[in-house]
Amino acid sequence: MVLSLDRLTKTFGSKIAVDHLSATLQPGVYGLLGANGAGKTTLMRMICAILEPSSGEVLLDGQNVSDMGADYRDLLGYLPQDFGYYPSYTAKDYLEYIAVLKGIPRHAATAKIKELLNVVGLSEVSKKKIRTFSGGMKQRLGIAQALLNDPKILILDEPTAGLDPKERVRFRNLLSSLANDRIVILSTHIVSDVEAIADIVFVMKQGNFVSQGSIRELVKEAQGHVWEIAVNPSETGRWEEQMTVANLRREDDKTILRIISENSPSESATCVPATLEDLYLYHFPTERSE
Amino acid sequence: MEIFLAEHKKLWSKKYVRISVLLCFVYMIIFAGILQFQWFTFGSPKDVTSAFGNHFDGYEVIRERQEYAEQFHGVLTDETLSDMVSDYQSIEKNGSYDETKKTDWSVKTSWLETLFPELKQSDTYLLMLSYVDPEKLTDIYERRNKAIEAFMDASGIEGDEKEYLLSMNEKVEIPFSYVWTEGWRTVLGDSLPDFGLMIAIVLVVCLAPMFSGEWQTKTGAMILTMKQGWRKDALAKLAVGFSFTIEIFLLIAIPNIIVQMVYLGASGWDAPIQCIKMIAIAPMNMVQAEIYEYLFALFGTLGFAGLVMLISSLSKNDLLSIVGGFALLFVPMVISEYLPYTLQLIVSLIPMAGSSADIFRMNTLNIFGKAVWLPYVELWTPLIFMIACIPVTVSRWAKIQKS
Repeated sequence: MVLSLDRLTKTFGSKIAVDHLSATLQPGVYGLLGANGAGKTTLMRMICAILEPSSGEVLLDGQNVSDMGADYRDLLGYLPQDFGYYPSYTAKDYLEYIAVLKGIPRHAATAKIKELLNVVGLSEVSKKKIRTFSGGMKQRLGIAQALLNDPKILILDEPTAGLDPKERVRFRNLLSSLANDRIVILSTHIVSDVEAIADIVFVMKQGNFVSQGSIRELVKEAQGHVWEIAVNPSETGRWEEQMTVANLRREDDKTILRIISENSPSESATCVPATLEDLYLYHFPTERSE
Repeated sequence: MEIFLAEHKKLWSKKYVRISVLLCFVYMIIFAGILQFQWFTFGSPKDVTSAFGNHFDGYEVIRERQEYAEQFHGVLTDETLSDMVSDYQSIEKNGSYDETKKTDWSVKTSWLETLFPELKQSDTYLLMLSYVDPEKLTDIYERRNKAIEAFMDASGIEGDEKEYLLSMNEKVEIPFSYVWTEGWRTVLGDSLPDFGLMIAIVLVVCLAPMFSGEWQTKTGAMILTMKQGWRKDALAKLAVGFSFTIEIFLLIAIPNIIVQMVYLGASGWDAPIQCIKMIAIAPMNMVQAEIYEYLFALFGTLGFAGLVMLISSLSKNDLLSIVGGFALLFVPMVISEYLPYTLQLIVSLIPMAGSSADIFRMNTLNIFGKAVWLPYVELWTPLIFMIACIPVTVSRWAKIQKS
């Protein structure tokens, strides 16, 4: 199974949201990393065939997905950024409704719903109205609905938003276990999620892939641009105004600043190994990842 | 079928849907049904300033009136009419005001005013029934024909249209059979014309969010990615909307008919509607008219439901859809009277804008040069609206979801 993006472009009026993106995706976990407004959601909606590209196409094994119709949608699991639900429904009712829309036979759906509610930790509350759920519980329900048809292509837009650290780890493990024979694309601006599970990461900025590759390859890009410097605590404000500061920590009476910069910010600065978060800040100097 | 059932369950799971249907049921069956018959329409008067001051004895009053009318039951002839008028006048002469209430006096007065306008005295407040000489009440069927022609001339009905209406009138069987008609008049003239309106109000509240609600709950994007797809889901939603309309219709219509049967019985079902309005030209009896009015309400609400769901598919906001639905319901009603006559007729073809009581009128539409009685057109047009709304709603909803 090969999912290809061929010069995919989407414009809204004069604004280019996605600009001639091309990529070839095979089973594995792909992370879309980018700031808000980078074009991640637009790209995902085009991959899901719910938004028509202005030009270019999405191909599955050489076939345009918009021509595949129900056959393509049968392979698809999608969790939108703003996951929608019916407040008056219970978790079970909701999944049953989604199962019908996904064309899953009733018997299979019943078993799958039970299994997924267990997987996402909602078994105990399956008969409670969704309106009573916390943000994290709703998000877990969203993940469950995306997995309901056992999709070969799983597209998750900001799936870990609202999850607490324990839930996030649980979700990462779940995705890792699913990734063997399917294409999983998740967009996020939470670097640690991508770092933990993505095989390949696409860094998006203004509708373009500014970087792509494995974590190791991407980290290499930032290598040589990450510095640490010890400064007096009173000077940290000035440094933060002038440079991209990835982190700061106190050590004795000094503050250690982790700075992203093309060149050494100071003679006393030492070059340190980069992480994916550093790469993110390297591309999005005004953004701070979570 | 499974999508239909899932969407059906979703619609009925909403609390506001269940409450709206319950309120409609209570209003139509309890208030406009049982209480109307038992209290404020047929209850004997206690406080003349308000119908709500009546006694709670409608059932007995109806029985009493039916019993009174029974003595004149049969073919309506000049003699029967004279006898009825004479009897009224003798009751009045005996000074028994309450007794006159049982005489179906309003129907008979309207007959006299229509058939014998030259006997009307303009200098008295009394009903014609009180002072007209019974001996002069002759040739009622010839007079009826003349009254119809006079009405047509006064209304500017001429040529082919007049010929068409007169040919309809020729099919009205004469002589009429007389029966107590006050009950039928209440049902056909007052209750049933409002029947569809109440259902339409519920439809606006319940169906206006059908499509816009998916946008508001942010579920639209997900539905677009599911195997069954937006087209099947949109069709299922439309089917649920129409099914819901039929369900409410039956939920209200069946108890309504039961209440009617309990209070009025079936007596007079085969009497012509001319017993209610003498110059009506439709060859219908009471039960045919009632079937027409129920079908009018059913088809009208189905067409209206289609339009409400179309509005819903064009909107991303439930409140806007509801406002649009109510505008569709009330704006044509309100503006119609200010429009030229021809436009009024056209507006009356919009579902729920016309009235089922048009069966008592002579309005016609000119379709491809041929005059057609308006109620025939009003009955079927909503179904055309309903069918036309289906493809438009499906495509507009998909378009707005994909935008």
